[in-house]
Amino acid sequence: MSGVFLEGIVKRYGAVEVVHGIDLEIKPQEFVVLVGPSGCGKSTTLRMIAGLEEISDGTLRIGDRAMNRVAPKDRDVAMVFQNYALYPHLNVADNMAFGLRIRKVPKDEIAKSIDEVAKILGLTEYLERRPADLSGGQRQRVAMGRAIVRHPDVFLFDEPLSNLDAKLRTQMRAEIKRLHKRLGVTSVYVTHDQVEAMTLADRIVVMADGNIEQIGTPMELFNNPANTFVAGFIGSPPMNQFEAVLEDTDQGPIARANGTLIQLQGQEALRGAAGRNVIVGIRPEHVMLNAEPGTAEIPISLDLIETLGSEALLHTHVGNETFVAKVETHGEIGHLNGVNALHVKPERVKLFDKDTGRAIGQAA
Amino acid sequence: MAMVDKESSAGTETIVPKLTIAQRLDRIQMHLKQEWQIYAMLAPLVIWFLLFNYRPMYGLQIAFKDYSVFLGIEGSPWIGFEHFETLFQSDQFVRAFKNTIIISLLSLFIGFPMPIILALMFNEILSETYKRTAQTIVYLPHFISSVIIAGIIITAFSPSAGIVNTFLGWFGVEPIYFLTKPEWFRPIFIGAGIWQEAGFQSIVFLAAIAGVNPSLYESAVVDGANRWQMMWKITIPCILPTIIIMLIIRIGNLLEVSFEMIILLYQPATYQTADVINTFIYRQGLVGGQYDVAAAAGLFNAVMAFVLVMSANAIAKRVSRTSLW
Repeated sequence: MSGVFLEGIVKRYGAVEVVHGIDLEIKPQEFVVLVGPSGCGKSTTLRMIAGLEEISDGTLRIGDRAMNRVAPKDRDVAMVFQNYALYPHLNVADNMAFGLRIRKVPKDEIAKSIDEVAKILGLTEYLERRPADLSGGQRQRVAMGRAIVRHPDVFLFDEPLSNLDAKLRTQMRAEIKRLHKRLGVTSVYVTHDQVEAMTLADRIVVMADGNIEQIGTPMELFNNPANTFVAGFIGSPPMNQFEAVLEDTDQGPIARANGTLIQLQGQEALRGAAGRNVIVGIRPEHVMLNAEPGTAEIPISLDLIETLGSEALLHTHVGNETFVAKVETHGEIGHLNGVNALHVKPERVKLFDKDTGRAIGQAA
Repeated sequence: MAMVDKESSAGTETIVPKLTIAQRLDRIQMHLKQEWQIYAMLAPLVIWFLLFNYRPMYGLQIAFKDYSVFLGIEGSPWIGFEHFETLFQSDQFVRAFKNTIIISLLSLFIGFPMPIILALMFNEILSETYKRTAQTIVYLPHFISSVIIAGIIITAFSPSAGIVNTFLGWFGVEPIYFLTKPEWFRPIFIGAGIWQEAGFQSIVFLAAIAGVNPSLYESAVVDGANRWQMMWKITIPCILPTIIIMLIIRIGNLLEVSFEMIILLYQPATYQTADVINTFIYRQGLVGGQYDVAAAAGLFNAVMAFVLVMSANAIAKRVSRTSLW
C-alpha cells in the first residue's frame, strides 16, 4: 500500500482560490478523515487526489510517484461517491465488474473477484439485482464493492454515508471500519459529520475555508483543539466557549468571566499574563455536578434539560453566555432540576487567545 | 371487516386494506374537495380535448354511412363496411397505404437515430461557443415554414439552376429532373425531413443526457473509461428510457407522414412513390367531395396507429421496463 502526500496543494477556479496550499502526509494503510463544514475544500482536495480536479499548484504524490499530470485511471485509486454512482442499467455484478472490464481483466478473474468481494460485503444474493431494487445500505455496499474489486492502492470516500438514515449510518460506519482493518488499504475519507470522523479515523484533518486547521488523532483533537474552530467543530455538543480576562492570584492564574472565577491550575505559562483577553473552553462532558477537591465552581441558571437516556444535556446560562453540560443520569433526572452550579477540574479548562483564536499553552 | 391485499415491492411486503365502494367514493369526494384548484387548472385542457378530439369522433360514423351533406350525419343511411371494401379494392388506396408504410419505416430507421446521434455529438463538444453555434444552426430549419422548405428543395434540385445539378454538372453529369422522378422522391423527402427536424428533436435527447448523474462519468473516469466507452456504456444506456418513449410516440405517429410537405413536393408523375394515406384522404375528401370514403380511410389510419402504439408500448414494457403507460 502507498502513502499519499500533499505538498502545498492549491486549487483555483479562475481568480478564486478555494484550497490554499495545504500540506498533508498520509501514511500507508492509514485511515485519514478530512472533516469540515460545507465549502471548506475537503471534497475538492479529495477530488484532486482522485484526479477529477486539476491541481493548480503544489505536488501530489502517491507512493513515490508525482501524480499531478497522471490520469485518474493510472493513479490506482478507487472512489466511493456520495450518491454511490451506480450504473442504473447494470445489475450488482456488472456494476462491480465495470472497472475490471474496462481494464480488460480476464473474465474468470473478474468472476472470482466479484464472488470474493460479494461474500465479504454480504451481497452474494443480490448480484443479479439492479440498483433500483436495492435499499440504501445495499447500494452503499455495492459502491464499496466496486471500489474493493479493483484492489487499489488508495480508497477515496466522498461522504459515502450522508444519504443513509442515522441507524444505517452507524451500521455502515462499523462495516467500513471493519473493512479497513481487514484490507489495510490507505483510505482518505471526506465527511462533514464529526461523529463519523471521530469513529473512523486513525487521524483527522479538520479543514476550514480551504486551510487545514489541525491534524491529529481523534483524542488529540478532542482533548487539545488547536483553535476555537476545532474546539467548536469536534465534539457533540460542541465545546462551550466564552470570553474571559486572566487574573493572577496567589493560588495561580484564574479566568474571570461574567463574574465567575475559574481556577486555571497547572498553567505555568499563564503566570504574568494578567489582563489578557481569552476565550475559555470547557467541554460539556468535562463538567461535573458535584464538587471535588480543587474543582472550580461555575454558578449557572438552568434553562432546559434534554434527556438522552443514560445522559442528559443541561442547557444553562453562565451570566449572559449559554453553557451546555452533559451529565450522567443514572436512570433518574429529578435531581437535575435543582442544579444551580456546575464544577470543572482546572486541567479540563482550555484557553484560546481572543484575537487569534489559537490555543494558549496549557497542561493537558 | 376490511379485506386486505398484499403488495410487494423491492423485497418488502406491505398490507394494503381493500376499500368498499362507499369508502372509495368518500375518498374521491374528499380528494376533490382538497385539490379542487388542481382540477380547475386541468379543466381547460380536458374541455379542449373533449371539444376538438372526442366530439369530432361523432362524425366518424359517416365512414359507415352513405353520407350526404343534405341529409346530414343522422339522416344518411347506414351501409356497413362498404367504404372499407371500396378502399381495399382501390389500387390508389393500396398504393397510398404501401407508400405510407415504406416512407414511414424509412423515416423511422434513418430519421429516428439522427437526433440521438446529434445529441451525443453535441454532448462531446467541449467548446461552449462552438457547441452553441452548432446547436443554433441545426435547430434553425425547424422554425422555417414547410412552404419555404419546399421552395428551397425545389430550387436546390431544379434541373436548370439548382445547386445539386450544378454540382453534378462539374463532374459531367447531365441535369436530373429529381422532383419528377418517382425513385428520387423518397430520398429527397426523407432527407429534407431529417434536415428540418433532427436538430430540434435532439433537444429532448440533450435534456436526457443533461439529466445523467455526473458522478457516473466521474466514477467511470476513475475506473479508466475513455469518452467513447462512457458514451456507449453510460450515456446511451442512461438515456435509453427517453429513447424508448420517443420511439413509442414516433411509432404511434408512423402513419402520420408529413402531409403538407408531400402535398407541396409531389406531383402526378411521382404519385407512384409519393402518394400516402393522408394525401389520398385529402384528394378524396376535400377535392373529390367523397367525405364518407375519406372518413373510412382516416378511421383505418387511426386504428392502425392505435394498434401500433399499443404494440410498441407492450413490447417496450416487456423488453426494457420502460413504457408510456
